[in-house]
Amino acid sequence: MAEELNSQNPINRRNLLRLSGYSLGGMLVGGSVLTLAESLAGKATEPLNQKVEELLLKPQTPVPEFPMSAIEPNALIINTYDFTPNINLNEFRLVVDGEVNNPLSLDLATLQKMPRKSMVIRHVCVEGWAAIVQWGGVPLRELIQLAQPKPGVKYAYFISADRYYESWDLASCLHPQTVLAYEKNGAPLPLDNGAPLRLASPIKLGYKLSKWVVQVTLVSKLLPRRGFWEDQSYEWFAGL
Amino acid sequence: MNSTGSTQVAKLQDIKEKTPRSLQAFPAKVFHWLNIISLTVMLMSGLQIYNANPVFGGREGWHIPQFFLLGGWLAGGRHWHFAAMWVFSLNLLWYGVYVLVTKRWQHRFVGGNDLKALQIGKNPKRKIYAWHRIVYTSIIPILLLALFTGLGMYKPAQFPWIVECFGDWFALRVVHFASVPLVIGFAIAHSLLSLKVGGERLVNSMLWDEML
Repeated sequence: MAEELNSQNPINRRNLLRLSGYSLGGMLVGGSVLTLAESLAGKATEPLNQKVEELLLKPQTPVPEFPMSAIEPNALIINTYDFTPNINLNEFRLVVDGEVNNPLSLDLATLQKMPRKSMVIRHVCVEGWAAIVQWGGVPLRELIQLAQPKPGVKYAYFISADRYYESWDLASCLHPQTVLAYEKNGAPLPLDNGAPLRLASPIKLGYKLSKWVVQVTLVSKLLPRRGFWEDQSYEWFAGL
Repeated sequence: MNSTGSTQVAKLQDIKEKTPRSLQAFPAKVFHWLNIISLTVMLMSGLQIYNANPVFGGREGWHIPQFFLLGGWLAGGRHWHFAAMWVFSLNLLWYGVYVLVTKRWQHRFVGGNDLKALQIGKNPKRKIYAWHRIVYTSIIPILLLALFTGLGMYKPAQFPWIVECFGDWFALRVVHFASVPLVIGFAIAHSLLSLKVGGERLVNSMLWDEML
C-alpha cells in the first residue's frame, strides 16, 4: 500500500527529504566545483577569445566616427582605481622608452605641436555603459615612429602618475584612432578625465585607456604584471 | 487482412516492444540539454555583469540578488559569460544545420496547420498542441536575438552596424537584457505546455529517456 502511494505521488515526505538532501549536497559540491570551474573556464577560453579578438581587429581600418552633435557630455562616468594625482604641468614630460633607438622625453607644448587627431567615438566601459565622446590628441603611432622601436617590439606599457599601469599589443597601439588625448569634447582635457594626457581609442575597453599617462615603454615580452585590473583577472586583450 | 500482412504487423510490433523508441531524436535531446546548461550559465553570469552597472538606473539602480549570480564579481561573470557563449552559440549552430539537413524545420516547428487549428479547429487538445508548438518555436528567434545583440555589445567597434540597428547603445543594452525575462518566461510557458500536451511521458522523452 505504501509502495503504491509512493509511486503515485512523487512529492511525498520521503522523496522530499531525499530531494532536500540531494540539493544540500549538490550546493556544497557545486560551490567548490564552480570556483574551480570558473578559473578553468577563464583559462581555457581566454586564449581562444583573444585569438578571435585579434582576428576581428582590423589594425589599419578606422572605426566609423560620429558627428559632434552625437556627443553625450553627461554619459562619461569618472572611474579611477584609487586617487587623482597632482601633476605639475610645467615639469610634465612624457617619456617614451624601452626597446627603442630614440628614447623621447616631451613636454606638453611639443606634444601639442605634433600632428593632431580629433575623433568622436564611443567609449565603452567593462561595466556595460558607454558614452559618445570627442577626443583630440597625438596619435600614438606618431610617437612610436619617432621613438623608432627596435625589431621584435610587440607590446607597450603605459605608466600613469597615479601608478596605474597597463599593457597593450603593438597592433592596437598603431591603430590610427589610438591617441594620447589632451582634449575632450572640444575643451582642454579635465583633470578628472586624465589631464594632461590620457589614452583614447574606440578599439579597447575603458580600463585599457589609462589616464594621466607619463611613460610609454615599448617591449618585446610581457612582464608578469600586465595591468592593474588584468592582474586581478580582467581580460588582457579587451578589444572592442 | 491477409496472413503475410498480419505477420508483418506482428513483426513490427515485436521490434517496437523489444526496442522502446524515445519520442525524441537523440540530437534534439543533446541540443536541449546543452541549451539548458549553457543558457543558465549565460543568464546568471550576465546578471553578474548587469550588477556592475544596472541597465536601469545605473549604480543607484536596483541590483540583482546574489543568489541568481555567477562569477562572484565582474571579472568572474565575464569569464563565465565569454566561456559559455561558445557552448551556447556553437550548440545553436550545429542544431540549425541539423534541422535544415534533416528537414525537421518542415514539420517539427510551428506551421500553417497549427495556425489553422487555432483559428478554425474544434479540437481543444489540438489547440493546446498548437500553442505548445508556437511557444517552443519562439525560443529560436529569442536565442538568435540574444546572440546578435550580445555580439553587438561584445565587439561594437567591429560590428557598429549592429548597434545602429537598435538606434543607440542604451537600446542595444535593453534588448540584450530582455533575453533574461524572455528566456525565463519561455521556460515557464514551455514547461507547463509540455506537461499539459504530453504529460510526464513527453517531458521524460526529452530529458531522460535513453540519455544514460
